[in-house]
Amino acid sequence: MSTRLLVIILALSVAALAGDQEFDRIVRAIETHYGTRRTHIPFMGLANLAVQVARPAGTSGFKLAVFEDLSYSPEDQAKLDRFMYGLSGSDLHPLVRTHSRRDRESTYIFVGEAGRSTKVLIATFERNEATVIEVKVDMDTLLKWIDSPELAGKSSRDRTDW
Amino acid sequence: MRIATFILVGVLTPLAAQEIRLPANLDKLTAKAEESVDVTLDGSMLRLAARFLSDRDHDQVKVKRLIGGLQGIYVRSFTFATDGEYSMADVDALRAQAQSPTWSRIVGVVSKQHGENVDVYFKNAGDKLGGVLIIAAEPRELTVVNIVGTIDPEDLSDLGGEFHIPKLEIKAGYHRRRDPR
Repeated sequence: MSTRLLVIILALSVAALAGDQEFDRIVRAIETHYGTRRTHIPFMGLANLAVQVARPAGTSGFKLAVFEDLSYSPEDQAKLDRFMYGLSGSDLHPLVRTHSRRDRESTYIFVGEAGRSTKVLIATFERNEATVIEVKVDMDTLLKWIDSPELAGKSSRDRTDW
Repeated sequence: MRIATFILVGVLTPLAAQEIRLPANLDKLTAKAEESVDVTLDGSMLRLAARFLSDRDHDQVKVKRLIGGLQGIYVRSFTFATDGEYSMADVDALRAQAQSPTWSRIVGVVSKQHGENVDVYFKNAGDKLGGVLIIAAEPRELTVVNIVGTIDPEDLSDLGGEFHIPKLEIKAGYHRRRDPR
């Protein structure tokens, strides 16, 4: 194996690991902040495999963490903003934030580069639940999600029902 | 070298000062609003988007061309449950920034969605717009758009509907007006 190939493989491995770390870092931060643990989802591995094989609507790679019984109040929007924006790093930039007092829902979309595609992290807080999704998407899908941020979390969450 | 640096800083500082900054008091409206949307596309995000936009898809080619000269798009949109939950004072800080000599207002721009007048300010940059500030204020809705960078006047309408920017119709025979100071 040539040195050049080895360097490329190492670089790709580090990039993949860095991507995993972003998702895990945010999941751990929510667990610590709210004193909770992510809910175990049966057959999540199977859902991941289904997404990787089917690649629906311009997506690939899929991670999901669900939190239940959060002591989250929609009135704490400013606190939640500070907390969520504090989670953005050099690899993950805040793109869209929505708050709905009517639906008691807040959505945050972060975007980062993931090799030849775009990595999107969507965090949705709804009543006493939170969902964090990381998925790689093409630009067409991302543009649609910017236009309808509330659909981004919902459409991705629905995929776990497969 | 040192003198050149001072000259460069002296030239660039006023230019940077002419950019519009969304005031912090807009964020306070989030707590009052029934719905709020905040879109932040800074320079690094726009460059990232441009890299991944297709050169074949017609819509993506259009967006790529539109954002090519831009350094940032910042949108704050609020929907309120009742009238009077925000005041004009909340947007006066923005309007005040657009009173600098390099900024003018386009008169005769109408929101396609609601048919109401929208305040559109732009920064002069020769035959192009050097920046655009849009304030669409209705009794229960407020949308503020800050576009940083250069854009063709003809493309301004095309940006409407993208990134939560209101769809705008610039009336035939629109004219530029410098607001009284």
